[in-house]
Amino acid sequence: MKVVVFENVSKVYRTKYYEVRALDEINLEVRRGEFLAIMGPSGSGKSTMLNLIGCLDKPTKGEIYIKGNPISGLSDSELTDLRRDTIGFVFQQYNLISTLTTLENVELPMIFSRRNSEERRKKAEKLLKLVGIEEVADRKPFEISGGQQQRVAIARAMANDPEILLCDEPTGNLDTNSGLQIMEILRNLNRRGVTIILVTHNESLKEFADRVVRLRDGRIVDVSSVSH
Amino acid sequence: MYLQLAIRNLGRTKVRSALAIVGIIIGVTAITSIGIFGENLKHIVLESFGDIANEVIILPNFKEGYKIIDEKTIEIVKKSPYSSQVIPVKTSSEEIRFRDKKRIATVYGMDERAVMTLFEAENGTISLKAGRCVIGNVLADALGVKVGSKISVDNHIYRISAILKKEGARFDITPNSALIISEKAHKSNYTMVIVKLKNLDEIEPFKDFIEKTVNLKKEKVDVIEMKRILDRINKAFNQVNLFLMAIAGISLLVAGVSILNIMLMSTIERTKEIGVMRAIGAQKTTILKIFLLEALMLGVGGSIVGSLLSIAGGYLITKLIIGRAVSIFSITTLFYIFGGFFFGIITSVLSGLYPAWKASNLEPIEALRYE
Repeated sequence: MKVVVFENVSKVYRTKYYEVRALDEINLEVRRGEFLAIMGPSGSGKSTMLNLIGCLDKPTKGEIYIKGNPISGLSDSELTDLRRDTIGFVFQQYNLISTLTTLENVELPMIFSRRNSEERRKKAEKLLKLVGIEEVADRKPFEISGGQQQRVAIARAMANDPEILLCDEPTGNLDTNSGLQIMEILRNLNRRGVTIILVTHNESLKEFADRVVRLRDGRIVDVSSVSH
Repeated sequence: MYLQLAIRNLGRTKVRSALAIVGIIIGVTAITSIGIFGENLKHIVLESFGDIANEVIILPNFKEGYKIIDEKTIEIVKKSPYSSQVIPVKTSSEEIRFRDKKRIATVYGMDERAVMTLFEAENGTISLKAGRCVIGNVLADALGVKVGSKISVDNHIYRISAILKKEGARFDITPNSALIISEKAHKSNYTMVIVKLKNLDEIEPFKDFIEKTVNLKKEKVDVIEMKRILDRINKAFNQVNLFLMAIAGISLLVAGVSILNIMLMSTIERTKEIGVMRAIGAQKTTILKIFLLEALMLGVGGSIVGSLLSIAGGYLITKLIIGRAVSIFSITTLFYIFGGFFFGIITSVLSGLYPAWKASNLEPIEALRYE
């Protein structure tokens, strides 16, 4: 089953003085349970593509289907619900809430989905254990390492059991070892059935993917399967 | 969790939050203290009029050229079924001499029992019989007389039986600078009738009674209700109090602007955080709720402290300006305290409304890109 479909999708950013065609007539299908890597140089449209899949932005032209449903007609509130229940985000900068502990950061999406406190606490503890950092549950983000922060971010992204996990350069700020550990966690999540869409510059990470989509100047220039 | 989030968000800019709270404290304290002071001032002024609400004064209708009240009118008033006490009063202005001192003063001619009802003696015993008189406190001091002194009024000698206690402001008789002699001894005509009614409900029927009897053919007399005058004083004091509170309210307005300012700064500083929360599933209303909660907490904190301080503030202002505080722990004071408390909260929440709205309407993608 296809969880994400791009149908002739273009995205144009217009300012008063110039126009940037970030994506141009993109057609792409992502299957459930797939590990897809989107690669390409800076400015090729990788992040734009990720933001469109994440319902943070809407295409200028074309249609995007998430789990078979077109997103162009959805209201802000419906898009928020879709993000909350179906999509998890992992950012390069981790983007944890600095005033909350790691456990509370993981609980946050579950608060937005109105789950009761006991249930969300148990789930958050379980997720922190899953990413191997249950011992830092009571610490604030600035009290833990970058690798640990990214693990917290993955745990937070998995809080509402999303079907799709969007990862924007998740290892970009980490040393090689921590980066590999993060990629292992993502691979394990993928093995549990989570569709992972990874945006990266790092060529070595394509080994973790089932398929690699290469972008250049807003166009798909290559789609290749990775043999393991 | 939203509450914890709000507390922690305020906590990360402690000094800024504290200053906003201080602003609210000052505003709430100023408004409530002024309100309490005004209430005390009104209380003390109205207290000085004593229990005169059920009193009416009948005066000659000066507009129609009447200057006196005739005996017939007084008889009609005495027969009214609504009056419990009728006190006719003669008034004139005379030169009063004691040894080498002389003063021009008001001389009232009244029934001895009426004087006993209306006033209290500071020295001596009130008696108007056999050439006796009573004198007001201020006039007695001015002339240097004592109980038993003999004074001359229009070539008649009177012995002072009592010096009256100093009276507060009155609308009927002001005895402090006056002399009171018996009705019979006073040679002028009646100029006023003080009527004490059985209760407040009798005021309108009594006025109707006067209109249908004394004023039937000609408008000979005016009936002045003390209650209406007291109501007007009460209303005037309430208006003055409201005005003073409005001036004090400027400080709360400034505090509100300060909250608006810090919340706007907070919105800008937390743009990325707002973007993250929106990305992971926070609705616009959730962001609005978090920011409003922060404004509410600043308001509640400042208003609680401000309300408590205003009790002391109200007491101090009243004590310093009036000299005594009579109703600090009354129901009305509580009304001002609760009023100040809620006004502080409302100001804070209203001030937080725009920043909260602005934060909640940030585009998630733009907010995430913000550095």
